[in-house]
Amino acid sequence: MSDLRLPIGIFFAIVGLLLFTMPSARAPLTEVPVNAYAGASMLLFGGAMLWLARRKS
Amino acid sequence: MPLGWIDYTILALYFVFVLAIGIAIRRRVSTSEDFLTSGHSVPVWITSLAFLAANLGAQEVVGMCASGAKYGLMTAHFYWLGAVPAMMFVGIFMMPFYYGSRARSVPEYLKLRFDEKTRALNAATFAVMTLFSSGVSMYALGKLFQLVLGWDFTSSVLLSAAIVLIYTFLGGLTSAIYNEVLQFFLIVLGFAPLAILAVLKTGGWNGMASRLPQVMTHSWRYLGNASENPMGVEVFSMVAGLGFVLSFGYWCTDFLVVQRAMAAESMSAARRTPLIAAFPKMIMPFIVIVPGIAAAALIHMNVGYSLPMKEAGVDYDQALTTMMAKFYPSGMLGVGLTALMASFMSGMAGNVTAFNTVFTYDLYQGHIRPNAPDRHYLWVGRAATVGGVALSIATAYLAQQYNNIMDVLQLVFSFVNAPLFATFLLGMFWKRATGHGAFTGLLAGTTAAALTHGLTIAEHKGGWIATLHSFPSTMAQNFWIAIFAWSTCFLVTIAVSLLSAPKPEKDLRGLVYGLTEIAHDAGEPWYRRPGPLAIVVAICLVILNVVFW
Repeated sequence: MSDLRLPIGIFFAIVGLLLFTMPSARAPLTEVPVNAYAGASMLLFGGAMLWLARRKS
Repeated sequence: MPLGWIDYTILALYFVFVLAIGIAIRRRVSTSEDFLTSGHSVPVWITSLAFLAANLGAQEVVGMCASGAKYGLMTAHFYWLGAVPAMMFVGIFMMPFYYGSRARSVPEYLKLRFDEKTRALNAATFAVMTLFSSGVSMYALGKLFQLVLGWDFTSSVLLSAAIVLIYTFLGGLTSAIYNEVLQFFLIVLGFAPLAILAVLKTGGWNGMASRLPQVMTHSWRYLGNASENPMGVEVFSMVAGLGFVLSFGYWCTDFLVVQRAMAAESMSAARRTPLIAAFPKMIMPFIVIVPGIAAAALIHMNVGYSLPMKEAGVDYDQALTTMMAKFYPSGMLGVGLTALMASFMSGMAGNVTAFNTVFTYDLYQGHIRPNAPDRHYLWVGRAATVGGVALSIATAYLAQQYNNIMDVLQLVFSFVNAPLFATFLLGMFWKRATGHGAFTGLLAGTTAAALTHGLTIAEHKGGWIATLHSFPSTMAQNFWIAIFAWSTCFLVTIAVSLLSAPKPEKDLRGLVYGLTEIAHDAGEPWYRRPGPLAIVVAICLVILNVVFW
């Protein structure tokens, strides 16, 4: 494996996208669209990891 | 707690990725050193996060959230006082000897510094303890998933153990370390939203604090007297017991964490590993403890949240999972549960990779077959990995059957661990310390720990010889046991060393302070030098303690 940031980036990008597919799901104690916010954060994090891995290669 | 398709998909995706990392790493493993020590080739940012993740087992995450609900912000002392100062010490002062001696394990350092019997004592107790810890952690995870998700105990245990076995068997230490980094990010991103949502629900930090007794949101203010805080400890036992003996004993001598730093690509990287890890370590209380504190506040808010009860009272161990059920919808719930599984796997892989190295190099090569070809030790390392996982599973089932035996074993191991830091401190910083002194000191310290437990009582525990003193809590009792054990080991090691012949100085070069040249990385930028990095860590630590006084 050339760079660990690559699989980490791919993993969180996929999980972020998956969460984004269910933005309307709600939890009992909050009205916040948790999946949308968390999904966006993970997409950003995964993207940053992929960018760092690509920059190095 | 019902799970949807997306939750299972995220869990399955995580399994695919950890296995893929193991398979990819396999190509890099051709010698026993590649498999057991990573061939000293891992970049520093990876060893740093692995250093932290190996300690972030499921019991730690669940237990710290439970302690947050029970004791409040004082639990953060397990990080700010009970970890970070020791991490700074091991990076600055001890790593030059671990890494510079080229020892492949902590017990091997003891052999080089003292003698074979001291190494054998440390290696044997460490090997048994790691398997035991791994098994107990596996048992706890199996029970938790059974209770919360209704999953079958055997299926949870065997599935998670099988995955850890596959990736550690294929890629050895490197695979475990690389996966620990993925697991670390998953733990942070999986639990941080819970802390934010829970605190927001209680009205922000001030709103949360206003719903709780003041002692729940302060770390130092109520430590003046043991009766003023729910932990039942006072400032001296907290600082000396947790902040010095137990903390330094774990972070500076436990091969499970030290092994991650020793895998770094250079001496400088090995020294910076615990220092870089100290930054996220300082932040961890906000991710794993704060949801517990918020849970305690939510109970008083009549919003439909409560903690389940068990025979002995409130079941704080379910704080984390019940909070996830209330704040995470399907999707994020899958991320949270995957993070819980990841924390278990990182802890177990840490135990297994430390066990296989100590077994192969310190027990097998040291005592059973010393001069075999390297490929034989590679084979033994892989066999030890399989054996370690199998014994961990057996321990998990033993814990299920005989919970009291597990409590006794855990106690005995704490007696063995408590004095260990005195041995290393004298070994590294006093060239006059001898092997006879170290060995006798360790045995005397362990005996002192057992005697202190037998002569004192706390929450109906201990006092099996007589009751000379009562502690307000088992935590206070544990801290004082550690203090007595460490002091006894320290004094006996000095006394016996002065009565026995020291090693010649030429045999101690690279192993003892004063006989070892320590590089200062002059010319490197400050963030690549351990000294300035440690100063920044110390400043951040002081600020945190002042803000949350």
